Amino acid sequence: MNSLSKMPISALFAVIFSSVVTAHGGGSELMGGATNSAYLKECGACHLAYQPQFLPKRSWEKVMNTLDSHFGDSAALDDALKSEILGYLVKNSADASSSKISRKMLASLGTAETPLKISDTPYFKRKHREVRADVFKRKSIGSPANCTACHLSADKGDYDEHKVKIPRK
Amino acid sequence: MRIPSLFVAVCLVAATPGFGLAAGFNPEMTKYVQGLETQAKKQESSFKGFDAARGKKLFFDAQPNAKSGPLSCATCHTSDLKKSGKTLVGKVIPPLAPSANKSRLTNVKETEKWLLRNFKQVYGREGTAREKGDVLMFINAQ
Ligand code: HEC
Ligand code: HEC
Ligand code: HEC
Repeated sequence: MNSLSKMPISALFAVIFSSVVTAHGGGSELMGGATNSAYLKECGACHLAYQPQFLPKRSWEKVMNTLDSHFGDSAALDDALKSEILGYLVKNSADASSSKISRKMLASLGTAETPLKISDTPYFKRKHREVRADVFKRKSIGSPANCTACHLSADKGDYDEHKVKIPRK
Repeated sequence: MRIPSLFVAVCLVAATPGFGLAAGFNPEMTKYVQGLETQAKKQESSFKGFDAARGKKLFFDAQPNAKSGPLSCATCHTSDLKKSGKTLVGKVIPPLAPSANKSRLTNVKETEKWLLRNFKQVYGREGTAREKGDVLMFINAQ
């Protein structure tokens, strides 16, 4: 209850803060949330609709071509939805983005690597090296894939390290 | 043998108005559930209609799962369907009970998609027509 009741306040701060950043022309630091409505609905049901800017085009192609067995789950879609979503992901992938996170992400990957997970990339591991493996296993976190557990405004593309809040349980 | 049992089944359906259909489904969903009923009758000669009690059992029956540990429908949707649940990745799932969430069981495409995925995840296979009908009766009564 405690952490829940705090959420709206920090969300409010995030909104105020991000508008200040934009006003100063530093907006490219923030990727923004994912926008495509099919993507948000179909790929945001089980977890955050991760920002496409986190992975290269080749990764999204692989993710979208293996939806039948998607990390032990089935996320299969019909062909029309699949191609719409893949189109959106490719158009906004790390290769096509000028955000700082995308550039660092690409630099951390060898050209031969095609990660399926953001949380498997060297960039992610470097940024989270201070987070112990057992912290990710805490009941209210569960997995590194649950970005929103610690980055409360992850859905808006805000991963600012100063706003991270790790749940204690 | 086949003809008499089919005949009995048809008589039963005819004798029971709204047989197997709980109140409250919209026309689109009613048609879908009727389709499941027709299929169930073809697949099981002993089928006498959907049963929310069997659906409840199916909903709570935990299956061994190598990745997550024992997994049931209630793992993600909780044992009180009027409450919000949580996926294994930690994302909130709005309540499954139509009494608490009006959009539930109103769209056939959505319902079919999730029943397919969720049965595969819990039971490692697709649900049969009877199982799907049973569990829909149970959910719809919540
Ligand atoms: C039925 C549930 C479900 C749906 C729908 C779904 N996913 Fe996932 N996804 C998962 C699970 C489970 C994981 C593994 C999470 C973990 O490791 O804890 C995952 C992980 C991921 C990851 C890696 C996260 C990380 O750790 O960096 C990506 C990327 C991803 N999904 C993309 C997608 C895309 C794109 C779609 C839409 C086409 C989608 N997912 C739809 C269940 C789902
Ligand atoms: C257990 C909590 C936790 C989870 C879950 C988590 N993070 Fe983080 N993340 C952190 C912490 C703590 C930092 C800051 C590290 C530091 O201070 O250097 C961070 C930093 C980051 C940064 C760098 C921000 C910056 O300003 O440089 C990015 C990007 C990021 N996380 C993305 C993600 C994504 C994407 C996910 C999900 C796939 C995720 N995180 C899941 C705790 C978490
Ligand atoms: C791993 C987590 C998980 C498990 C286990 C699970 N579900 Fe779901 N279920 C979901 C998610 C995620 C959704 C889609 C999100 C949403 O609609 O809010 C969903 C949606 C549904 C829907 C769609 C309802 C509608 O019309 O909107 C039904 C029906 C359903 N589940 C039934 C079941 C049944 C029956 C089982 C057991 C066989 C089950 N679920 C097991 C995660 C799960």
